Formats: sequence, C-alpha cells, structure tokens
Amino acid sequence: MTISTARISLFNKEVVKIFESKSDLEVWNSFNKGDEMAFNYLYRTYAGVLFQFGCQFSKDQMLVQDSIQNLFISLRKKRGSLSEVSNIKGYLLRSIQREVLRNGKKTSSKMVLDDSQMDSFFQIELSPETSFIQRESADQRKIQLQEALKKLTAKQRQAILLFYEEELSYKEIAQIMDFNEVKSARKLIYRALSSLKEFIKPTI
Amino acid sequence: MEFERNHMKYEDYKLEHFLCDEFFVKWVKNPDENTKHFWEKWLVANPQKREIVFEAAQFIKSITYQERPELSNEAYLELFENIIRFEEGELSAKKKTTREGSWFSFFSLRKIAAVLLCCFCTWVIWDIFKSYDKELKTETHLITKSNPKGIKSSIGLSDGTIIHLNSDSELIYPSEFSDSLRLVTLKGEAFFEVSKESRPFKVQMDQAVVEVLGTEFNVNQSSNNQFAVALISGKVKVNDNLGNQVVLDPSEMLVMEKDGNFYKSTFDSLEIVGWKDKNLIFNEDDFSEVKSKLENWYGIEISIKGQVSKKWAYTGQYHDEILTNVLEGIKQTSRIQYKINGKRVEITL
Repeated sequence: MTISTARISLFNKEVVKIFESKSDLEVWNSFNKGDEMAFNYLYRTYAGVLFQFGCQFSKDQMLVQDSIQNLFISLRKKRGSLSEVSNIKGYLLRSIQREVLRNGKKTSSKMVLDDSQMDSFFQIELSPETSFIQRESADQRKIQLQEALKKLTAKQRQAILLFYEEELSYKEIAQIMDFNEVKSARKLIYRALSSLKEFIKPTI
Repeated sequence: MEFERNHMKYEDYKLEHFLCDEFFVKWVKNPDENTKHFWEKWLVANPQKREIVFEAAQFIKSITYQERPELSNEAYLELFENIIRFEEGELSAKKKTTREGSWFSFFSLRKIAAVLLCCFCTWVIWDIFKSYDKELKTETHLITKSNPKGIKSSIGLSDGTIIHLNSDSELIYPSEFSDSLRLVTLKGEAFFEVSKESRPFKVQMDQAVVEVLGTEFNVNQSSNNQFAVALISGKVKVNDNLGNQVVLDPSEMLVMEKDGNFYKSTFDSLEIVGWKDKNLIFNEDDFSEVKSKLENWYGIEISIKGQVSKKWAYTGQYHDEILTNVLEGIKQTSRIQYKINGKRVEITL
C-alpha cells in the first residue's frame, strides 16, 4: 500500500499545504522517520530544481534524470539514520552536483570535464523584463552587461546563480562549492559583482 | 579591504554592497515580514538611495539561467515511480529510460541480484498459492486506469458494474472477477453503480474496504487522507483497517478523518456526486478549495496574485461549463481578475 499512498498524493496539492509552513528541519525529520508524504513533498518541490541545476553540468538530460533517481533512492535507503539538514535545497543541490559529476565521469563522452569546457557551465541570461530596456541606451548597456557576464569564470557564474536564482546563503554556497570558509564564497561573489557594476549603474 | 562592508552602515552602501547583501537579496527575491518591514522603512528614511536600490533590485531579479530545461511530465512521473518502487523490489523491467551502457554502473550487481531474488521468491510463493487455490487459476490480469487532472472517465467492468472515475484518481481492476469475489482498488474518487448479483463487490482503499451487494455510492479519498463514502441506494458495509465496521443506509455518508475518527452525516447529493453528471459545485468554498477544484476539473495550474482575504468564499453551480464561463461567474460575485494562458491561469485578487 505504500506505493499507492505515495503515488496518489503526487497529484495532490494538499500535500504541499501540510509541509509548506514547516521548517526545513521539520520536513527533513519527517522524511527521515519514513513519512511518505514528506518524501512526496521533497520530490515535488525539488525534482524540477534539481533537474535544471544538474543540467548546468551536463548536456545529457538522461544522465541528469538518472542522477536524480539515484539520489532519492539512496536518501530513502538511508532513512532512519540521516543527519539533520537545516537547508534542504542547499543539501540537495550539493548532492545532485556530486551525483551528476560522478555519473558523468563514468559515462564520459558527453560530459564536460576539463577546464576549458568547464567554461560553458552556468551561463547566465538577463531576463527581458528588466527596467534597462525601457531606457535610452539601455539596449547597449544590456549587451555590454551580457558580455561582461560571459567573461566571468564558471565558478563566479555558478556562485551568482546560487545566490540570486536559488536564493541560497553564503554558507550554503560555500558548502556546495567546497570552500572551507564562508568568506571565500563572499569574496568570489563580491569580486564578480564589482567587475559588473559599471554596466549596471544607470549613469556615469 | 572589501569586507569592511560587514561593518558598514546601509546608508553608506554602494551598488555592489547591496548586490552582495544577503538580507537585501532576501527582500528582493523573497520578501517576508522582517525584510519588508525593515527595507520599506529604510527607503522612506533614505530617499536618496532609492535609485541605487532600484537598480540593484532590477539586476538581482533579472539574473537567471541561460539553460532552463524542464523535466517533462512523463519523466517526472516515471522517476517518481522508479524511486518508490525501488525498495519494493519491483524495479525489474520497469526502467525504460536508462541506456544499456549505464545500466550496470547505475544499479550495482548486488542490487540487481536483490531484485531478481525478490522476483524469484514472489514467483515461488505465487506458484505454491496457485496449486492450493484453484480460483487463482483463471488467467486474469490487472488493469490500471489512471485519470490525470482534467479528465474523467466511465469504466464498464466484466460483471456489468459501471464506475465513474473522477479526475486525479486511479482504479485497478481485474479483467475478469474470480468466482467468489469482485474486488477493485481505488485511489481518489469514484461513483459506483454496482450490478446486483451474489458475489460481493469490494472497493479496497488505503484506510478501509467498502463492501456492497448491489447499489449506487460515491467513494472519495481526499488528499489529506480524509475518506468519505456516500450512499445513494442499496446498502454498504465499510470496514476500516482498525477493525471497525459501519453499515450505511441510503442518503447517509460516512466520513473518516485521517486520525481514524469517523462519523455519519447526511449529504447534499448534488454536491457529493454531482461531478459524475458534469456538475461543478462550490459551496461556501474558500479560495484554496476553489483553486484546487478548478485545477482538478480543468487540468490547469492556477497562480495567484495579491492577498486572499480570509473572508473570501464562493458559492456557485455549473453544469458542463467551459473554464472561461466559470471564471467569469466567479468574477461577477467575488471580484477577481483572471488571465488564461493555455493551461496556466493567473488570478488576481
């Protein structure tokens, strides 16, 4: 019956309501205790996020899907003995990164591994709804900004995307990027943004 | 050096400092009570900073991935099933997506062995049972009928029973019933018109089994695990997993809460079983109920703009109506605005 319980609730939005108001710590503890609803909530909340994030490392979408599957299977197997997690998104992104890179190494070929190719990871786009567009010379500035973003290193772009798009804290970014100290993440982002500021400012 | 800004005051912040500030980014991306309270007050007190704050916010909001592949619906469901079934030892031939090359690296030999062992044990047990129980000899197979959101269907069973399966629901039934029992498994909601005969008809749910002879009734297992059986005619017996038994008479409804408590009540038959005749009913529903009913009925995704008032409630009935007409109806009485974009609907309150 566990299959069916878990399966049906995949379609049910109510599950989200139950867990939405809970802290990450509570959700994770429920999952660790074997609560299928909690697993369901984790899957529906993060499957898409993990897929998008994983695809930044590999063009091979099947490989990313397999990695997501592996990750959740291994987490479910470890239920009962999982350590506490206070930021689930950070934890899962870190795990999926490891999983994709490991699977990528095994299948090689399509996987981008060496440094020169690493450069193509985590490309940033400026979404069109920004105010830049409505202003004179804005187009020009946007192109410059886009160019400047391309010139950032893959690590800088990854950090910026984790910070803005994934809304993670410096602490979590440091963990994902394997920095020993939180301030390394701060420094990385600060330097990247400083190099961009002249293209962001309206005048001067 | 550059980290002095940790001790800097916000009024001395330059663009890049705002861009790097966690508390500021949080307000821009995902404001909560704390960030709103602070930054809105701060902007009032520091109007000279408005422009720079605006630029920083625009930049932060505009940053996004260039590659934004979406997990297809199909893959989303398949992965979920693979994950769930893995420990049940049912993975066997289910996995179509993996390419042959990575199969072995993906699942270690030990796991495959475990799966095979489970299959073998299942086969052995099944074989033993088969020799004991002649009824199982008939060549039946199970059929699964799943309705996604927005789709309802009617299913005729081998004994003449008709089942109206609601959207977002699933029914599993055998191609042929055995000589002594008619058993189906239901998740979600269905209305049953059971043909009268000697073999009992049973509906297996997560929390209970509903047993009948010949009758019309509605079974609904809602998302929060609440469970309800509403009887139109005939007689049904409900046995829950804890050993309780309740008998229902026509026009009675049994509601079982997820904590196992249950009670009988009467019901409005239009409201409870109206769905099978294409009646969409709202009865003093709050916004989240209206939202989920619409999403289920039409298979759409609704996003909300604005604040939902606690007093918001909507009552209305629609018969076989298209989405626009329903939204138009709600708009008339309850002051909403809406935009339909294919399967996505945006409602502004």
